[in-house]
Amino acid sequence: MTQAEAILMGLRIWGSIGAVVAAIFLTIGMDRIDEDAREAYIFRPLLIPGVLVIWPLVLWRWYLFESGRERWPGRYDPPRRAHFVVGWLLPIGICAIIVIGLSQRQTWPTDIAPLQLSGQVEAAQ
Amino acid sequence: MSDKDSFFVGYLPAPKALRGLLLAVCVLFVSGLAGFGLALGVAQDDPGEGAFRFDYGRQTVTGVVELTPYPLLRVTEGNERIPAGHTLMLAGGGKTNVEDRAIPLEGQLAQASGVMLERGTLDMLQLRGGRNGLQAVEGAVPEMGTVPLGRWKLAGEICDGKCLAGAMRPGRGLAHKACANLCLLGKVPPVFVSSQPVDGSEFLLITGPNGEHLPEKAYHYVAQFISLEGEVERRGDLLVLRLDPDTLEVLR
Repeated sequence: MTQAEAILMGLRIWGSIGAVVAAIFLTIGMDRIDEDAREAYIFRPLLIPGVLVIWPLVLWRWYLFESGRERWPGRYDPPRRAHFVVGWLLPIGICAIIVIGLSQRQTWPTDIAPLQLSGQVEAAQ
Repeated sequence: MSDKDSFFVGYLPAPKALRGLLLAVCVLFVSGLAGFGLALGVAQDDPGEGAFRFDYGRQTVTGVVELTPYPLLRVTEGNERIPAGHTLMLAGGGKTNVEDRAIPLEGQLAQASGVMLERGTLDMLQLRGGRNGLQAVEGAVPEMGTVPLGRWKLAGEICDGKCLAGAMRPGRGLAHKACANLCLLGKVPPVFVSSQPVDGSEFLLITGPNGEHLPEKAYHYVAQFISLEGEVERRGDLLVLRLDPDTLEVLR
């Protein structure tokens, strides 16, 4: 299996699980945890692409609501705590990616001359 | 409010205590971004002079169709842009080939019509649709020789010939790899760019070892600087490289 095939298979597995989560959450789960969404259906297909991508978060939030552990201000705690670190990591990461990319890239092999391994007559025979 | 408590509000005049800092930040920010952009731009490879030559107008020439298996036209009756004796690689629109039209005409005299792509000594003809692009013509078919040049070890890069010749800018390099592989899957003629000229040419049409399409293994080496071995032959003014896939190596 090539790297590209492995990446594609990973994406397919992720998307397939997301599709199952989307099907269950948008038909059953949403009504259980959000009373404002009850009997409202038209908007639900619009959420499918998002659920396909972030289905673990959907499952986690669903679990919090179902188990009664949801504390609404709590959802803002992780991003608030991470602001300082992420604020430094992002520019440092971008710079690192650019520097590593430029330093790792190949250089055109100008100094390698074509080498004839067998002659015209030999090849013609 | 003391100077210590100065607070910047965008729609109010800047507080005196903050003006110096604000000016410094503005200058550093603008000059820093400009310098960063310049540095990134300078670090990029030159995309080259390749382009569609719509300014030449529609080109129509006559020649003998050959399959390598990628279709070629050995020009016998040229024009002011494409001289007789030149060997043209042929492609369809977008990422498509013209094999369905060229295979029935193999070894026959045909008229090809389309728009040129040109990058230095490399060129290609993107054919018009249907029979307007390639059709048989009456006439004696001249003998077209192929000159074997032996086995060579070369360094360079495998590209798709159409983008390299000017359909895309850049038409080579890692940033272009996915596009190149899609073109090659569409059987657009692939071209090997040699680090130095081989028998006078740095561009070689590249095929599988036994004259088939580029083997799947080669797709993983497209757009990287590699070394390889293969048999080279001359067809008119075009070199054809029959790749030995077992010799593919990425250069460090």
